[in-house]
Amino acid sequence: MSTKKVNIDGVMLFEQPFVRVPYENYRKVFRASQRNIEREFGNIQTGSNELQKRTKSNEVNLEDAAKAVDGMIARVENLKRKLSDLQENNGKPTLDVTHERIQHLALIEALPTTNCPDFSRWADTRLDRWLVDWMLRMGREKTARKLVQERGIETLVDIDLFMDIHRIERALFRHSCTEAIAWCSENKTALRKIRSTLEFELRLQEYIELSRDRRTQEAITYARRYLIPWQETHLEQITQAMALLAVQPSTTCGQYKRLYDESRWTSLIQAFRLAIYSLNSLPTEPLLHLALYAGLASLKLPACYDLTHNVDCPVCDPNISILGKEVPFSHHANSTIVCYLSGKIMDEDNMPMAFPNGYVYSTEALEEMAAKNNGKVICPRSGHVCDFTALKKVFIS
Amino acid sequence: MDGPLKELEKLRASTENSTKGKIPSAESSLDALLQSLYEVKSRIAAGTVTEDTFALLSQTVDAKKKEIDEKQKEAYNAIARLGKALDKRFTQPLPTYDPLFTSHAAKEALDRTIALHFLRTGQFSTAETFIEESGVEITSELRGQFVELHRIMMALRRQDVGPALEWSRKNRSFLRSRSSPLEFYLHRSQYIRLLLSSDPSNPAPAISYANAALRSFYPEHELEFKRLMGCLVYLPKQKLERSSYVDLASPSLHTDLEPLFAKEYCASLGMSRQVPLRVVGDIGGGGALARIEKARTVMKEKKSEWSQSGELPVCCSSDIEIPLPPENRYHSIFACPVSKDQSTEQNPPMMMTCGHVITKDSLQKLSKVNGRVKCPYCPTESMQGNAVRVYF
Repeated sequence: MSTKKVNIDGVMLFEQPFVRVPYENYRKVFRASQRNIEREFGNIQTGSNELQKRTKSNEVNLEDAAKAVDGMIARVENLKRKLSDLQENNGKPTLDVTHERIQHLALIEALPTTNCPDFSRWADTRLDRWLVDWMLRMGREKTARKLVQERGIETLVDIDLFMDIHRIERALFRHSCTEAIAWCSENKTALRKIRSTLEFELRLQEYIELSRDRRTQEAITYARRYLIPWQETHLEQITQAMALLAVQPSTTCGQYKRLYDESRWTSLIQAFRLAIYSLNSLPTEPLLHLALYAGLASLKLPACYDLTHNVDCPVCDPNISILGKEVPFSHHANSTIVCYLSGKIMDEDNMPMAFPNGYVYSTEALEEMAAKNNGKVICPRSGHVCDFTALKKVFIS
Repeated sequence: MDGPLKELEKLRASTENSTKGKIPSAESSLDALLQSLYEVKSRIAAGTVTEDTFALLSQTVDAKKKEIDEKQKEAYNAIARLGKALDKRFTQPLPTYDPLFTSHAAKEALDRTIALHFLRTGQFSTAETFIEESGVEITSELRGQFVELHRIMMALRRQDVGPALEWSRKNRSFLRSRSSPLEFYLHRSQYIRLLLSSDPSNPAPAISYANAALRSFYPEHELEFKRLMGCLVYLPKQKLERSSYVDLASPSLHTDLEPLFAKEYCASLGMSRQVPLRVVGDIGGGGALARIEKARTVMKEKKSEWSQSGELPVCCSSDIEIPLPPENRYHSIFACPVSKDQSTEQNPPMMMTCGHVITKDSLQKLSKVNGRVKCPYCPTESMQGNAVRVYF
């Protein structure tokens, strides 16, 4: 094993979502607390102002005032409970997770080389995390949960996020936009920031469904309420949507047929997935795929696909070689000659030597063979036998 | 990660209900408000309320709202600063690729790879769950082989060489064909353990073990055998550690058996010595993706074509050669020192009589009409026809 410095930048490229997801979760908790404060305090403030105004004009009796004050007390108590609930059950645990994950990454920054047991353990956990991410995206929830439980990595993976994604996607699959729209309004600002039009597309879909059912009156009301706010950016689509009312769902006219088409639901699922991944800095492809793509592209050689394959080479593995077909070959400007016998790399300390028929092995391996065979060497590939002295030094520059 | 950690600690401090800090926590602000409300309530009950009581209450409500808003603002700023610290640490987003491994064959291959990964790493119950959920087929024979591997590895970890020795005896001819020292090393480990565990030093059990088990390895491991006998002179352990036999006292003599055994066991089944998914993942996640991305950006700037398949592109400034450690070099690569081309079946490496190797195409280009070639790396001149094709 060689001692190699950890390529921190290369490692960190994969880790952005690892800390972003809990960070975004915490922002959500904060927004929820903000909402609660605004709502409850709004009521309390109106209450107390009202009370003050009414006492000024002597309209208030003590019984009413007592009732109003009791109402305010209940609200404050309620807000206090809600805030502490949020902090204890959501805020604090989320910050703990964020902390643990940042620490987990700090650990790798502190490692000197890849050649230590700590790195190996860290990389094992990383592969487990990638596998869980992959399982969750591929709908292998049971395995994901099992793996998480067996490895004790609950805080290092985002099962809840993916469960949320699945719940909303399943709803879209059942042709219900409600859940996705609720998600959009929860994340309004963030979606606006990335210029996502997901909410419009969802609203448009609900409108299309009303039109499909020929509930024209409702459709118009719906459009007024939910489509018109988008007129600045989506006027053309809104106009087209309004015209849809005049068209039966059985239409063969291209643009309206497309609006009525079932495939819009599939695109909605795609668009939703894209939006929620993007909000959490998750890549569109599973992390495992990206790692495999880059890893395979570094290793893949024409030799992996011809007769000289090597059992120790991952790309030569019968299953992985199928995946390897989708990635480019690696590129090498310099020669690396690996000894067929010992697997060691040949260099000036362990020169390559050729049999008269051109088969090349390392000096070390050939010397060892000669020592056991009274100075004779046998080529394991061609069966050629000769004296060690008949071998010729090969110069690879 | 120091930056983000520091900001996180600040955020924590601002959200915890501590009495420290200039702004009181939301909880204490609310408590103060409650207290005022209860006072007003008791005044109402006592009939001592005036117009001012309610004016004051209104003011208190506003003041407390302001306090809480400030506290929230403090937390909000802390969150934003943490976000900025993260932005600074993670400057590059993960790349977007067209969906990978989507063909039926690729999906199936990945499922199998993952199932085998769980088996290979001894995660049998996870493997069972996965096999059931994905429907991938793994023969019970193969599963059994992994269970055996794991059983023997666990025994080795407990310093029990028995099961591994039993397997080595059964596969002796296979091991011999690979000139593997596994069986000898297993006995060696046992011998050393016997030697060092008896205290006060009594080498008799170790010597009788060597007599019974190690003797037959004398012809193949003569030198090592002599050292194992020689080290007897330097007992006990403390003395051995100061002698030239110090390597025999090292724990790696025993711990190295695990990877060695796994390598031989897997080779006997035609599998690789390392866990393949880990190897590929570690390379991909250890800089390769970053490197590919860097080149991709350069190529985009130059508006050159980038394809997700084919060969990793070469252009003068963004030559994507991903450095690999020696243990991840599995095949010989010959790049012609003259043309820089990688050798192929059509353009094989040729060795001239001086021993220097270039590709066939380069050799032809360098040859004169009479078939003579002057080696570009030494003064030797030779005949093109005398060059030999080499096989690495």
